[in-house]
Amino acid sequence: MDLFLGHYNYWVVIFLMMVGLYTVISRGNLVKKIIGLNIFQVSVFLLYINMSTLEDGAAPIIAEGVALYSNPLPHVLILTAIVVGVATTALALALVVRIKEAYGTIEEDEIHKQDHSL
Amino acid sequence: MPNLILHVVSKFLIPLIIIFALYVQFHGDFGPGGGFQAGVIFSAAIILYAMVFGLDAAEKIIPPYLLRILASLGVVIYAGVGVASLLLGGNYLDYSVLASTQIAGQHLGILLVELGVGITVSAVMLIIYFTFAGRGRE
Repeated sequence: MDLFLGHYNYWVVIFLMMVGLYTVISRGNLVKKIIGLNIFQVSVFLLYINMSTLEDGAAPIIAEGVALYSNPLPHVLILTAIVVGVATTALALALVVRIKEAYGTIEEDEIHKQDHSL
Repeated sequence: MPNLILHVVSKFLIPLIIIFALYVQFHGDFGPGGGFQAGVIFSAAIILYAMVFGLDAAEKIIPPYLLRILASLGVVIYAGVGVASLLLGGNYLDYSVLASTQIAGQHLGILLVELGVGITVSAVMLIIYFTFAGRGRE
């Protein structure tokens, strides 16, 4: 029982990761694929932040009467990853806009029907 | 037809969002917060304005050429703090030499660097939004 309740945060991470992966695989709509990719990404962020958080750990700022601090390094890494995630999402959306202009659709199977070289 | 509820609520919310962004920006020294988060919150206020009142009204507040200047101004502030600490005899981005005491220097340095990050992040988020939202107009 402790495996499930004691580590429920990791089960949330696994659930979100599988939701994102399933969305990327099963949906033909390119915008939905990007949404799935973002959900996958958020699950990785949560995994890193969970690993570095201590129970009753304070923010890593020196203060009176506080002995336990959370490790700030993974948080900073994830802060950078979030910014990179915004940039890659913007790039992916720009590509989708360009595909829509070229093929007139963002459904993957319809693009394959129009272009046999793919 | 203008949506009265949306207009009134967003006019009430936008100043609060901007104040919260400034709080997150300048409280970043002492608690969770900083330039990345504050910049995104600040640009969320402008994006809310653009969604409710239209893109043209939002571009009247912050014209796109000003956004491009702001985006590079933030980088200049960030790099400028580093060069200033070099000129004062420290390492690149060594905040300790910026003021008379080490603690005051650290405070000033991180404040300026986070200000630069905040300006750039909010400007770039708005550029991304305006670029995508403005495509339908031409």
